[in-house]
Formats: sequence, C-alpha cells, structure tokens
Amino acid sequence: MYDKIIIGAGLYGLYSALYCGRKGQRVLVLESDPTPFRRATYINQARVHQGYHYPRSVSTAVKSAGYFERFNREYDFCINREFNKVYATSAQYSWSDGKQFKDFCRAAGIPCEELHPERFFKKRMCDGAFMTREYTYDAMILKDYFVEKLAELPNVEIIYGAQISAIEKGGDSYVVTAADGKIYRSAFVLNATYAATNQILDMLGYEKFKIKYELCEIILCDVNDTLNEYGFTVMDGPFFSIMPFGKTGFHSLTSVTFTPHTTSYDPVPTFSCQERSGGNCSTFHLGNCNDCIAKPETAFPYMANLARKYLRDEYGFTYNKSLFSMKPILMSSEIDDSRPTVIRVFSQKPTFVSVLSGKINTVYDLDEVLENE
Amino acid sequence: MNKEKNFVSAVVYVHNAEERISKFLEMLVDVLDGNFEHSEIICVNDCSEDSSAAQVKKFGSGARSVSITVLNMSYFHGLEIAMNAGVDLAIGDFVFEFDTTVLDFDSAEIMKIYYRSLEGYDIVSAVPDKREKLMSTLFYKVFDRFTNLTYDMRTESFRILSRRVINRINSMSKAVPYRKALYANCGLKTDTVTYSVKNAPKIKRDKAEKKYRGRLAVDSLILFTDVGYFMSITMTVIMMLCSIFMVVYSLAVYLTSNPVAGWTTTVLFLSVSLFGLFGVLTVIIKYLQILINLVFRRKQYSFESIEKITK
Repeated sequence: MYDKIIIGAGLYGLYSALYCGRKGQRVLVLESDPTPFRRATYINQARVHQGYHYPRSVSTAVKSAGYFERFNREYDFCINREFNKVYATSAQYSWSDGKQFKDFCRAAGIPCEELHPERFFKKRMCDGAFMTREYTYDAMILKDYFVEKLAELPNVEIIYGAQISAIEKGGDSYVVTAADGKIYRSAFVLNATYAATNQILDMLGYEKFKIKYELCEIILCDVNDTLNEYGFTVMDGPFFSIMPFGKTGFHSLTSVTFTPHTTSYDPVPTFSCQERSGGNCSTFHLGNCNDCIAKPETAFPYMANLARKYLRDEYGFTYNKSLFSMKPILMSSEIDDSRPTVIRVFSQKPTFVSVLSGKINTVYDLDEVLENE
Repeated sequence: MNKEKNFVSAVVYVHNAEERISKFLEMLVDVLDGNFEHSEIICVNDCSEDSSAAQVKKFGSGARSVSITVLNMSYFHGLEIAMNAGVDLAIGDFVFEFDTTVLDFDSAEIMKIYYRSLEGYDIVSAVPDKREKLMSTLFYKVFDRFTNLTYDMRTESFRILSRRVINRINSMSKAVPYRKALYANCGLKTDTVTYSVKNAPKIKRDKAEKKYRGRLAVDSLILFTDVGYFMSITMTVIMMLCSIFMVVYSLAVYLTSNPVAGWTTTVLFLSVSLFGLFGVLTVIIKYLQILINLVFRRKQYSFESIEKITK
C-alpha cells in the first residue's frame, strides 16, 4: 500500500514524487519508458513561458508570468539565459499586429522593448519586433537533478518499463495492475501522463478530456555565430520559432503548420502509423514517438524555407536531428489560444486526479492538489 | 531519379471549380511529386459556393508527400487580391501561380517554364497559342499603347515567380490591384513560353468572375495607363480652343457687322469663363493623375482560415 501512485515520470510526475516524498510519504512512480523525461518534458521548445506566446489570452499570460520567476529561481541550474529573445509579428496573416502585441505586453506586465524589424527580418515581412525576456530550460539537466534528489529518498520508488494493463477502484483504494501481473494499491492516484491521459481514464471509465492529438516534430539545428545569440519567434499565426534548446548548443526549430505531422481527433490517440510501430504503440497504449520505428520523415525543408522567408540571410542554420512527440491539445483553447492547466479530480477517498498542462512552469499548480489529502 | 532541390510552391486560384479541381490537382501533384524533392500547394478558395473546398480537402487527405493548404477567403475578393494572399502565404524558392484550373495545357509545360526561369528569368509566363477574345485583345492593345513597358501583356494561364521578384514586389507597392502590371513594372527579366492548346474544354465563366474582370479592366486602364488622363486632357484642350475661337469670332462679328446689343459681351463672358473653367479642370486632372501615381489605394484582404491538411 502506497500513499501515492503517480503515473508518468515527466516533470509533473517527478515534481509530485519529490514534493510528497519530502513529506515522508510512500510514493510509487510508474513509467513505461526506460528513463524519465523522454517525451513531452524533453521534446518541446524548452521555453520557460513568461506569457509572450499568448497575445490573445491575457489570463494565460499573467499566470505564466507569475510562475516564471519562481521556476527560474528554483531550477536556476538548468536555465539558459544567455541569448536575446526577439518576438516579431508577421505583417501578413497574423492575428495580432505589432501595436497589439505591445499593448498586450503592457497589460500582462511583461517586459517588451521595441526594435526595428528589418534588423532581423526581410523587408516588409514583419510589422513589429520586440526584445523580450524569455529563457529556455535544459530538460536533461533538470532530469539529473530530479533523479539525484529522488534517489536520496528511500520512501520513493520508481519503476521504469512499467506497462499498466488495468486500474480499478476497490473500496478505499485504487488497484493498479501492471502487464507483468504485479499489483499496486494506493488511496491516491495521480495521472500525469500528458498524451496518454485519456487512455488511463478509459481504463476506469472516467470522462475523458476533450483533446486532439498532434504528432509533433522538433528539429534541432546547428546555427552560425550570428544566430547563436538570438532566439526568434514570429507570431501570431502560421509561423515559426528558432531558439536555443536548453544548454545543448542546438537551436530548436518549430513551425505552427509543419511541426504537427498528423492529427487525431479521436478521444484516444489513433494514428495510421501505429500499425507500423511493431507493437510499440496502439490506441490503448501510446508508445514513445521518438523511439518509434514508424516515425515520420522530417519536415525540415518546409520549416527551413518558412524561416528563411522571414529571417535575413546572415542568420544561418543547418539540420542536425529531429525529435518526435505526441502533443494533446485541449479543444476549448483553439480560439483564444490559451493553454490552461487542467486539473480534474475524479473521485475523493480514494482520490484519482488527472493533470493536463502544456507548460513546464505551471507545474506549481499541482501543489494545491498534492496538499489536499 | 534526381529531383530538383529547389522548394517550389504552387498557388492555385479556386472559385466554383468543383467539376475540374480534383483533376487539376492530380495533374499538379504528379508534376511536383515527380520533379521536386519538396513542394507545397496552396489552394486559394475565393469563397466558392459549390463543393470546391470539400473536393480539395478530400483530395489532400489522401496521403501524398506534397503539402496541401487551403486558404479560405472570407468573401469574394477576385483573382488578383486572392492570388496575392496566396503568394504571401507561400514559402517556396519559386512560386507557380495558376490563375485558372482549366486544364488546356500539357503537364510538361509546367516544368518547361521552371527550366526557363532557371536560365535567368525571374518571371516566366505560359501563354496559350489560341486567339484571344476580342475584348482581351482590345484591352491589351490599349494597355500597351498607353504604357511604356517592355513586358508583353497577353492572356496568361500560369506563371512562375522567383523569390527575388516576390521580395522586390513586396518592397514596391502591396496595394496594386493588378499583378501583371506590377510584374511588368518590377524591372527584372521576364519571358513568356507559348504552349499549344489541347482539348480546351468549353468553360462557362462564373458570373461573379465575369463582373470582376470587367471592373478590373477599367480600373487597370485608369490606374496604370494614361488613357483617362489623355482623354480628359485632349477634351479640355479642344474645349479651350473652342473658347478661344468663340472670343475671336465674337470680336470679329462685333467689328464687321452690327450684332444685337449685349450679344458680344454675353458671348465674350461665356467664352472667357469656360476657358478659365477648363483651365482649372486641366490642373485638377493633372493633380489627380499625380495622386494616383503616388499612392494606389491600399487594398487589404481578409481571410477566414488557413487549413493545413494533414494525412
């Protein structure tokens, strides 16, 4: 009998494990991959959000800004601050223009200094460029920190390669059955699986999140010295970002139209590549896209052309490698592009909680749930 | 097979083309897929009232390597602005513009104009060898007569633009309502390739498009040629000469015969005022001409959505 069972060893899972472990609780983390941080925590733009990304959702922006300082302070060792972050608004097809972006920054209370767009971008491509304050985190350094801290706690156990085949509610506890037949019990289960969240909920027959799934590609690029000290994000529509990927020395390249390769609108992730995954992945158990044999061909030529259409020629970058991961997107957030942290409590005593959040620094939203016994 | 390394985009104008769009896209995808490593197609759906958009979507969801995007315009914008919107969205090193989905050419013509542009032409247009419609001939005649451009203005089915020419045009005036005039003005090397029309299907032109073309022709002539200015200036000069003649005539009548009292003063007054009035008009017309030359009316487009079609 554990005090808490946490499903998923991403940032949200390990943060919770450490939080509860430090209070002396007996915690079990179940992870299907061989090591932690192999999916969304690692494979994303590595932004520590301060809200710039959400010019049409001040509420999301204000919330991210609030956690920004705290995350940078507490995880200072994995933060890359050594670059200038430029946000720009595209002259065409943007949902917000330069002035609106500036007004938004003022409303959200985040720093933003106007620059001349043609310093970075080709003529007439952007109608506003702004120096902002945004950092990126290095997931692998953060992972080492969590692994090290958790190793010091004998009351926290992490099982890798654990496949969950069933979860049942039995009296005053939940019973989790693994594929190898082992059975774990706890009065508190936290579902921190991100893209597999509905598959877990499905086992219990609980109401699933209304999400769509995107198979996303993050491209890691080698960059020249001119680009090295900059991170660029062109907003607010079908554009791109190229920015340092933590402290790895790579820049990550992503675009709104070409980063998602395939989309599934089914309640549980359903993709044609699952048949070709060699048993790695199914609609019942989402495999790791980055380790999968059926991962798609890179969209680098598309993203690169998009970026080169905007960026001046002196900012050079070349392909190094691609990372793939599955991203669930709440359907309600399409219009205002907000990314709320959704925490849903399905039952109490025994407690079952699911958390879904698209941002790394809103991890503190969990505190409230973990306190609540 | 050695495919071309250049990234090309194809912008296709789609307005009420449900019966031919699938066939057209099939041909286009075959050409792009077979010749280029990477390419994209942008279908500009200019507020079609039929199932054109659905046809494109259905076609696009059949897995292919070419990326297909539908740009849905909010309301009927007409060919020129809709195509500008599409080209703005394109990311290719070279951009094909297909003004129509009527397939009266052999698919090999597409690569022909591409190779021609590699020889150093920033714009290469494909021109059908059939006789133009009377009205079109007249329009291009008048256009050529009243502009001093080297660009050979003719009916074109599709063309290719280099990224260089798109950048050049971006830094010129975005507000131009007629692309061909802009291309003609861009100052880069252009060329045309003539193709022989094959199995030209009889296509009934859409009502909205027909009306749009008429309006566009008048606008283009007024904006890009000196036709309006030339006409009005000729008229005012003629009228001014008439006024001068009337002054001389009335004075002659006054001196040689004996007109009714007051006739001379009346005619003199009228002639002098008309002369002045036409003088003022000439100045105003000149002003307007200069204003038109300085700023074309800024035309913005509004789009409803951009859909990236995934497999």
